[in-house]
Order: sequence, then C-alpha cells, then structure tokens
Amino acid sequence: MDTLDTKIRAVFADVWQGQNETDAPALADSDILLETGLDSLGFAIFVSQLEEELGYDPFTLSNDAYYPQTYGEFVAFYAKHKPS
Amino acid sequence: MASLAQRLAPRSEGADIAIGPKNRVAQAPVTIGGTAGSDIIALCISDPISFVKTLIHLDGSVAQLVLLSHALPSETVSVLLEDAGCTQLVTDRTDLVTPLEQCTPEAAIAATVPADGATKWTLTTSGTTGLPKLIPHTLNSLTRTVARGNPSTPPRWGLLYDPTRFAGLQVVLQALIGGGVLLTPDTHAPLADQIAMLKAQGCTHLSATPTLWRRLLMAPGFSDLSLKQITLGGEIVDQQVLDTLAAAHPCARITHIYASTEAGVGFAVTDGQAGFPTHFLQESANIGMKIVDEVLWLRPPLGAQRSLDGTEVETDSEGFIRSGDRIQLKDGRAHFLGRDNGTINVGGVKIHPEMVEQTIMAIAGVKLAKISAKKNPISGALVVAEVMADDDIDTKALKFAIQAHCKATLEREAVPAIIRFVDTLTLNAAGKLIRTDDAK
Repeated sequence: MDTLDTKIRAVFADVWQGQNETDAPALADSDILLETGLDSLGFAIFVSQLEEELGYDPFTLSNDAYYPQTYGEFVAFYAKHKPS
Repeated sequence: MASLAQRLAPRSEGADIAIGPKNRVAQAPVTIGGTAGSDIIALCISDPISFVKTLIHLDGSVAQLVLLSHALPSETVSVLLEDAGCTQLVTDRTDLVTPLEQCTPEAAIAATVPADGATKWTLTTSGTTGLPKLIPHTLNSLTRTVARGNPSTPPRWGLLYDPTRFAGLQVVLQALIGGGVLLTPDTHAPLADQIAMLKAQGCTHLSATPTLWRRLLMAPGFSDLSLKQITLGGEIVDQQVLDTLAAAHPCARITHIYASTEAGVGFAVTDGQAGFPTHFLQESANIGMKIVDEVLWLRPPLGAQRSLDGTEVETDSEGFIRSGDRIQLKDGRAHFLGRDNGTINVGGVKIHPEMVEQTIMAIAGVKLAKISAKKNPISGALVVAEVMADDDIDTKALKFAIQAHCKATLEREAVPAIIRFVDTLTLNAAGKLIRTDDAK
C-alpha cells in the first residue's frame, strides 16, 4: 500500500468534509484537482493540513516552476520532495 | 471632467466593447436620454455586460454611482442603499426589497440623458466581517494607472473578478479606456470552462491575485492561452508564482502591482522578481518612498492624499504616508513581509486577528485565544488559532465548538484553518497578546 497516497487521501477527505459537510468523492489519479470540489481556500487548507500531517510542504521546498494539475501529479509532487 | 463615455478609446462604429459567455455583445454607446443630475444611483447588476453598459451611460449624467456587488445578500444591499443615501436602484435582481424606485439596467439606460457632469463613484470594501464600508472615488482616482494601448493591436482583457470591486473595476476601465475589448466569462463556471471561453475569444491580457493565478496554473488549458500581459496584485507576490507564470507564458510581460490603500498610490514591478529593487527608494520621479523601522512610507506625487479606505493615515513632516507594509531589505531587493498591524491577507481577503480572537473567546471553555498567520503556498497565508482552554476540558469537543461557531459567525477566510491548544500565551506589559507570525 502506498502510505503517502493513503495519508493524502485521508487528509483530503477530512478537509473536503470540513468545507462541504458531505462525504468526499473518491479520487482517481487522472482527476483534475480543481474539479474535485475544493476551491482555493479549501485547497490552501488541504496543503496546510498535509504539512501538519506529513511534516513538510513541497511547494515551499521545491524550486520547480510547477503546480500539479491532477491528483496523481499532486501525489507524485509530494513523493518527489519528501525529505530524505 | 470627461465622463467615462467621453474617455472611451476611439473605435469603429458599433465595435464590440465587451463580450460575454454566450457571445452576447455590448456595442459602443448610442445616444439616449433623461435622468436628473442630482440622483444617487445604486447599481446592483449580476450581468457584467449590463453593468458595464449602465456605467458608461450613467457616468456624467448623475451625481453619484454606488456600485454594489450582485453577490451581496439582499439585507446588506438594503442597509447600504440607506447608508449611501441612494435615490434609485438599478438592478437585474428580483429579490431586493427597498422603498426606492427600482428599474432594470435597460430602463435606466433608456432614461438617461448623456452629460459630462462630475459623477462621484462609490465602491464597497470586501471586508472580512460585517457590513462592507463605502469608499468614495472618482473616475480619475480609479483610472490613474490606466494607459492607452497600441490601437493596432487592442488588448483583449479577461474579467475574472466581480466588476464592482476595485480589482475587477480596474480591469473594466483599463479595457474600456485603454481601447481594449472586455471578455466576461461566467465566473460561476468551472475554471477550465472560463479558460476555454477566454481562449475562444482571443484573450491576451489577464489580471488576478497570486492566489487566483496559482489556481489558473493548476487548471487544464491555461498554458494554451496566448497571453501578452500578466498582471498580479492584491497580495504579496512570491517568486514561485512569477517563475511558473513565466514558464507557462514565456512571451508575456509579467507585472506585479503594489498598491497602498493608505497612501492611495502604487507602483509596478516588471523584472520578473518578487519584491522591488531598492533603487526604487532613491528615485523620486514619480512617488517618493522610504523605509523607516522596516515599514514602507510613500509620498504621493501631488502631496498627501486621502486614504482609499477612509481610515486615518499617519503622515510625517515631509509628506510621506505610513503604508503599514513591513519590508525586508536583502541583496538589493525590498521584500514585503506583511502588515505591521497583524492583518492577515488570505487570498486577497484581509482578516483582523482581534475580531477572530474575540469570536473564539466568546465560547465557553476558552480562556484566551491568539490568532496568527501561517504562510501558505496557495492562498499566501491562513489563519491559525492558539487557544488556552479551561482545565480538564474535552479539547476535541471544544475544537469542534470553535470551528462551528467561527463558521457560523465569520467569513470563510477568517475561520482558523488550524487550531492548536496551548498551555500558555505570552502577554506584554500592557496585558496584550504578543503577536508573531510566520507568514514571512
């Protein structure tokens, strides 16, 4: 089991429920993040909660000129910048 | 003083000025006739094209235009209509209850005699809580930075904001006076659909907050736009968003705008780097700038002017106005750190920590609460609450109660994204909370 993916899904479900007060949808790797139902604020909270949970923020660590578009790209971005 | 209709850039007879999501086109104004010049007219119009047409026709013909967001609740509109002393309401909404005479934008346009009087414009703040404040403007104060473009290649500006707000109105006026075309996608549609509409209509110019730009960068199709001008404003701009925009649109000119509501002035940075070069502090051709105790002071070109949000401003003997923006100087660059009064900017929405603290401290079981900013790569910052709770309290239940109460009473951006329970909070000698934040 990909534990990073599992943790990210769990935080997403938590934030999604907090913002929308319904159960979060299942996410496929090809799903566009912006179309998952989280707006900018929800997405900002999602990234901050992930930092609390995982202990790092790849957007701050990365020097890449890049923002992930799909859920799969998002998980890969977190995996790539995970501190060793 | 020239009215908006007179200041419209010249264009051919019947040329488009604005294009909506369903290719509805507003054409350059035609002659119409008949409203008295002492009226204070409120506009609360949900269709951006109707709004723009109404603005063009009524400016110069009425004493004052009060621009109210179509998204405001009807009760708020009622209060603002009274506070602003409005005499008539122009709206395409059907839910507004007011003793004032109401008419549709089309009826207002048909009833207006073109004139070149000095119309005052009133905008509202997008305040964090409570009633929006009414802010006086004029067409001149709103168009200080508007430039005429090259008429051979008119810019095609995409409108991603509510046109009654300052940022959206700047785009409207830049497009109209600068000789461009205004493209108005349905801002309730998914962002990818808005981008597709902008692409189909040949959008070349876009202006947004860094938060919205990050959202655009995450949206499918964004790099397919053929952008020539990218403008950022309303929040601190970081290097990552500048670099990512430059990579997505290598041919675009990227401009980030700093505007001080206190000093009523601003400046633009176009070198692709966050912050601004320190040589801006020495050059005084346009506005004077200096840094005192890590805070930026500005001197407007025509001497001290009023604050844009109506608050008192601190001015020194040389005419400099304290902006309240904290600055860090590093390697020939001045970087913005945030506000010295602790105001937190969450995706362009300004949050006053004291208001959130008071909201939390009204909850049973809370002894003391401190609000600070946490830096965030998507929204610039988020609100973090540190809470001292009563002894032996169930903190899980209290956290839930704090979240529920804040959601019920505060704007979404002001609701703490993170709530931490702490044993102590440090007070200064005056018994006030010592504020620090990591939004640097």
